[in-house]
Amino acid sequence: MLADIINPYFLQILSFILINILLAISVYVPLSSGQLSLGSAGFMGVGAYTSALLTIHFDIPLIIGILAGACVAGILGIIVGIPSLRLSGVYLAIATLGLGEVIRVIFVNWESLTKGSIGLTGIPQMGREILNFAKGFGFDPAMIGLKSNQFVYLVIVLILLLLVIATIWFVVRQQNSRVGRSLSSIQMDEKAAESMGINITYYKVLSFTQGAFLAGLAGALFAHVMGYISPSDFSYHRAVEILIFTVFGGSEVILGAVFGATFLTLVPEVLRFISDYRYIIYGIVLIILMAVRPQGIFDIHLLNRLKGLKRSKGGVR
Amino acid sequence: MLLEQLVNGITLGSIYAIVALGFTLVFGVLGIINMAHGEIFMVGAFVGVMTTSVLGWPLWLAFIASIVVTGILGYLLERITLRPLRGKKGVSHLAPLISTIGVSILLENLSHHIFGAGNQPFRSSFAEISIEIGSITIYLVQIVIFAISILLMIGLTIWLSKTKAGKALRATAENLETASILGVDTKKIITLTVIIASAMGGIAGILVGMAFNSVSPQMGLSMGLKGLAIIILGGMGNVKGAMAGGLILGLSETFLVAFGDSGYRDAIAFIMIIFILLLRPQGIFGSKIAEGR
Amino acid sequence: MVLKIQNVSKNFGGINALKDVTFSINEGEIYGLIGPNGAGKTTMFNLITNIFEPTSGEIIFNGENITALKSYKITEKGICRTYQNIRLFPQMSALKNVMVGGHCRSNAGVFSSVFRTKSQRKEEQELTKKAEELLELVGLLEFKDTFAENLAYGQQRRLEIARALASNPSLLLLDEPAAGMNEKETDSLYDLIKMVQSMGITVLIIEHDMPLVMKLCDRITVLNFGEKLAEGTPEEIQSNEAVIEAYLGKEEEEEIA
Repeated sequence: MLADIINPYFLQILSFILINILLAISVYVPLSSGQLSLGSAGFMGVGAYTSALLTIHFDIPLIIGILAGACVAGILGIIVGIPSLRLSGVYLAIATLGLGEVIRVIFVNWESLTKGSIGLTGIPQMGREILNFAKGFGFDPAMIGLKSNQFVYLVIVLILLLLVIATIWFVVRQQNSRVGRSLSSIQMDEKAAESMGINITYYKVLSFTQGAFLAGLAGALFAHVMGYISPSDFSYHRAVEILIFTVFGGSEVILGAVFGATFLTLVPEVLRFISDYRYIIYGIVLIILMAVRPQGIFDIHLLNRLKGLKRSKGGVR
Repeated sequence: MLLEQLVNGITLGSIYAIVALGFTLVFGVLGIINMAHGEIFMVGAFVGVMTTSVLGWPLWLAFIASIVVTGILGYLLERITLRPLRGKKGVSHLAPLISTIGVSILLENLSHHIFGAGNQPFRSSFAEISIEIGSITIYLVQIVIFAISILLMIGLTIWLSKTKAGKALRATAENLETASILGVDTKKIITLTVIIASAMGGIAGILVGMAFNSVSPQMGLSMGLKGLAIIILGGMGNVKGAMAGGLILGLSETFLVAFGDSGYRDAIAFIMIIFILLLRPQGIFGSKIAEGR
Repeated sequence: MVLKIQNVSKNFGGINALKDVTFSINEGEIYGLIGPNGAGKTTMFNLITNIFEPTSGEIIFNGENITALKSYKITEKGICRTYQNIRLFPQMSALKNVMVGGHCRSNAGVFSSVFRTKSQRKEEQELTKKAEELLELVGLLEFKDTFAENLAYGQQRRLEIARALASNPSLLLLDEPAAGMNEKETDSLYDLIKMVQSMGITVLIIEHDMPLVMKLCDRITVLNFGEKLAEGTPEEIQSNEAVIEAYLGKEEEEEIA
């Protein structure tokens, strides 16, 4: 019965949505302190290649590979972040854009390690690894009425869902605290924030690094969901796509990033004919948004109004 | 061999310089990095291909067509994506950047749909004509490119320093408010700047088509990034810096390809971006500190 | 002596914004810094809080040389300021604005914030309580959930003072706090500043509203074209020939213009 509902195709789309949500949050976090990073695709690539290479060549457990991928991306974030954060927003955007391209060019050219533009194949797939692990304990998906590939995709979705929830929980809690207040005060007025005693360099590096870590995590997960990666997965277009998730959904609230990633991943899947024109539509959407609603679909005012709506309904009841 | 590479490097460098000038003009006046500049350049190149190869127009007419089309694109860019954001309360300084990114992916993918992803050949009537001086070969195309670039740079420099409109542009770049108090029609000057910058991009597009015999929708992105690298090298908003930076990048790329690993050719620009931003954010020729913008 | 300005000069591209200025402020004083527009008053604030470093000279705070200290460190040491052109965090509630002011007197990091440790919860409670007290002090408690940008002009000025007070300063720098206020608002501002003084906080104030300055300040320094013109009690300043000339000369110019 469960087997009829669980369609691997839907599960796969769901897993893309979840990875894209992580990516959108990786742009959202630095933006919450006023920093635009165009290097998210690069950090994502670093996470993906690190984890893929480690697991292929050294046969280490996936979870350690994925964590290593995220950490290497985070460390790269610190290395790039500290010097470039002396720069203001626009310069940071360009520096990160340059970084992303350098990373991609290295992936293409370091053929002995990365297999060049063909990319890496045979990356251990997360769901299958878990299935094999479970089988070691005598578990069979048929025991809960599932086919093997249904189980594989279901496990992936559940793990991603868990990670997304944990990330959102982390970001929301951080936001409603002394750290979050510092980040948003820097975003609103850097000079005033500093004269209130906030060490702006520290907080900017912090949020930038968190973004790099999250992008690296998403990249590593991507590698182990897809099973193959190539440099074109981490091009400038990917960076722009991630940026659009966040900017479209709403760059001031985390719900915006979640909504943007979900909506913009779903639409091309549901409306197939749009898929070909996706980037043209993205371009138009960006132009119109900046002119009409630069903060994106969701902002604090809209959220407050929605909350108010819920409350008044509760009142009637 | 060395001399030939030097000629190749200077040819490439002078094209880069023209692309960078377009960036620098817009940044100088508006304080905005026009992420769509590379794609406007690409459109200029396609106009060149279409007019010469398909319609069979002479080259000089192709240049005019390209200037007109990219000039109009520049006007639309200013009217539709930049002006609405200017002076609006609560608009982040990142908004114009994001908005021009929108224009860039729109233009790139439109050309992709119209012309296909592959390379289009660019035939100019004198592509094969060359001059032999001693042991080195110089193609006529290279001389034409170099001459046009130099003329453009000299023309721009004279226009900026001698004409009324050029002076108004410089005043606007210096300080928008002061310029408008002094009676400069800043709205007109800004529009003019974006149009001129875009038209220069269009000219550079044809020149690149002539130099490499091919154009593709993806060329805008890599050229745009190189233009950015150059103005960062030369100092944002610095006209002479853009010219020198263009030559430096052109020469270093040519020599890397000739004597090193060609795969990393495109990485030079980006590595340059990162190092300069980290070590000397105001650029080699810049004196203004980058912070605060 | 709380603050000592020692032979401070500041040069902007060949123009002397401040030239060899020296004065010092005693503990518990309300000290006025006045002078015509462009005399270098705000520049002095920017030097004290190290938005710029002085070209020459020293700034001594509680016996410590703070001339080259980073802005945020200076706030930690106990100097906090307001701005002439109000720089609140516009899309943040009044309460949160004040809580940001308490940043350097609290220390929750990422870990304790995310896991809401006991000490973090206690700290947040204390910050909130203190912010509410300060909002009450400046008469804005009822607007604690209003975004700063939606407050009236005079309220924004008072909120900025509350935000600065949240950093527990021993020296408060006020840059034209009465600008744009009507008579009634100015009166309540006077009471507020006196209250701040009674809390043991030293105040350095830039102000153009002369009756307010004369009523409020214990001592005053007059700047003119970047140089110190006079120093003394309000009575001394009011009868100082050079000061009268500087101000009268200014007024004549304005009339001509």
